[in-house]
Amino acid sequence: MDEMLVEIKNLKMYFPVTSGILLQRKTAEIKAVNDVSLDIVRGETLGLVGESGCGKTTLGKCILQLYRPTSGEILFEGNDLCRMPNKQLRPLRQKLQVIFQDPSDSLDPRFTASDIIGEPMKIHGVPKGRARRERIEELLDIVGLAPYMANRYPHEFSGGQRQRLGIARALALNPNFIVCDEPISALDVSIQAQIINLLEDLQAKFRVTYLFISHDLSVVRHISDRVAVMYLGKLVELADRDELYESPFHPYTQALLSAVPIPDPHVEAQRSVIVLKGEVPSPLNPPAGCVFHPRCFKVFEPCATTVPPLVEVAKGHRVACHLYSSDRPSS
Amino acid sequence: MSTLLEVRDLSTHFHTQDGVVKAVEHASYEVDRGEVIALVGESGCGKTVSALSIVRLIQDPPGKIVSGQVNFNGTDLLKLPRQAIRKVRGSQIAMIFQEPMTSLNPVLTIRRQMTEALEIHRGMKSQEALDEAIRLLERVGITEAERRVKDYPHKFSGGMRQRVMMAMAISCQPQLIIADEPTTAVDVTIQAQLLEMLHNITKDLDTAIILITHNLGIVARYARRVYVMYAGRIVETGSAEDVYHDPRHPYTVGLIASVPRLDEPRTARLVPIEGQPPDLIAPPLGCPFHPRCSRVQNQCKEGAYELIEVAPGHYTSCRIAGKD
Repeated sequence: MDEMLVEIKNLKMYFPVTSGILLQRKTAEIKAVNDVSLDIVRGETLGLVGESGCGKTTLGKCILQLYRPTSGEILFEGNDLCRMPNKQLRPLRQKLQVIFQDPSDSLDPRFTASDIIGEPMKIHGVPKGRARRERIEELLDIVGLAPYMANRYPHEFSGGQRQRLGIARALALNPNFIVCDEPISALDVSIQAQIINLLEDLQAKFRVTYLFISHDLSVVRHISDRVAVMYLGKLVELADRDELYESPFHPYTQALLSAVPIPDPHVEAQRSVIVLKGEVPSPLNPPAGCVFHPRCFKVFEPCATTVPPLVEVAKGHRVACHLYSSDRPSS
Repeated sequence: MSTLLEVRDLSTHFHTQDGVVKAVEHASYEVDRGEVIALVGESGCGKTVSALSIVRLIQDPPGKIVSGQVNFNGTDLLKLPRQAIRKVRGSQIAMIFQEPMTSLNPVLTIRRQMTEALEIHRGMKSQEALDEAIRLLERVGITEAERRVKDYPHKFSGGMRQRVMMAMAISCQPQLIIADEPTTAVDVTIQAQLLEMLHNITKDLDTAIILITHNLGIVARYARRVYVMYAGRIVETGSAEDVYHDPRHPYTVGLIASVPRLDEPRTARLVPIEGQPPDLIAPPLGCPFHPRCSRVQNQCKEGAYELIEVAPGHYTSCRIAGKD
């Protein structure tokens, strides 16, 4: 049995929408993450895909406790992070780190490279003085930057180098879990592969676990062991990487995969694309029943009224779709 | 097929405090009537600047088109007086930009923005232009167009705004559309919708498209001919088939190899292109790719740039590959 590092149970994250200036009344809720249960195994890379606004970043931030979830549990090494007061949480935060999408926005422009990498160590007080300087040099080396770059400011680095700096900062405290939130989306194609290879090397070397959030399905397939698909705050499908890409069950996953263009004119000429109708509805007022039903090309009776449960269709392969639940039509 | 647009030896430079940025150097390309061509490359490779130079949308200063010809239907657009080029923009050559929020005016209604071009270029009266705007919005798949035409851009989602941009682009039935990263800001399922629609509409109107993108998949799906740009230069060109199945320039080879493909078995490791794109103020001598190239030889570090024909219609600027 694989050891669970993170166990997410019935997680809900609702953001209130308020109106009024003096008397703020809550008028609605944005259901960014709506009843998601998910486990992350120690040492794996779990890919999390979905379109903008599906709640994948919110889910990542909930795990990091950058948002305090509305309800549900997040067990990290058996401890429920959601119930923990900030003071208790702080030492645990060393083990939970994050790499952000835009390395220009997530690095302080007035900090030098060594300030940036050293800050987590300063906050947590480990290590100090000379040991810290040595650790900074070591980290620069690990991510493929030269030691003489330690005194440079972010603007003196290229995009790919800045992302390496962000990775060095995330590694500073020897975390065992890193949320990679679209870490390569802002980078050029020829640089993306460099960063992906680096992330893979680091995982092999330090045995970190990744939650890899991305909308790029080809990259997620490359880097992940298992893949979770979200749509409008809901987890719609979860499976081992090969299983998900070879036999996707949920119509949304099928459409998503077919929409990815393949860089080969021969293949493209023969492929048929499932073009979904309409747009992603607002999470302010998600559709009743299955959230995907207004756009689904396989919609039938129960979809508009009943929320489909997440059921296991094969070993480790879960799908939330009425086509595969026990009350499906006999056809 | 006859040639619609012929760009010859185009160079566009930007004069900055740090020096002259040679954004585009000696670029040449052709577009036939109704054809889709693609300009591919990474940020800063000059693909956008080379397309904007066609319609002279380069801010001067700091930018300047320093040499070249742009023959569109036989007229050199670079020599036209300002008034005349304004008649071409929007009516014969239209543009779709990446960020629909920054290219639509936030304080004007969609109606106002759409009817302006119709009134100026097609000489329509107000009511007639409104009817046409509604028809165009319906054509690009906007429901309740009659009501939505009165809305401001912020009321539309990203995908919807891009539809509005497309409706505006086709409003004067242009012969050429420059689509600059038209779907980079939208999600993959919306991207599929938008590109399918644009493809169908332009086929009906026999409109040519210059598709500017860094997404090799989109290029494979829609473009007939591909121009690969690197550091302001076209380093390889040919039919989409040639470029994807028999890439000659090491940069093209590297670019194709560095992208994981969904239809192929997963590889254990990606093959990146090492190093960084060059600084365009002081680009490397000789082939601009040589500092990152795995096949570099002494002759790559000097000498002039020229395209070598390696097969009929297939050119590369790489001297090593050109001799294979």
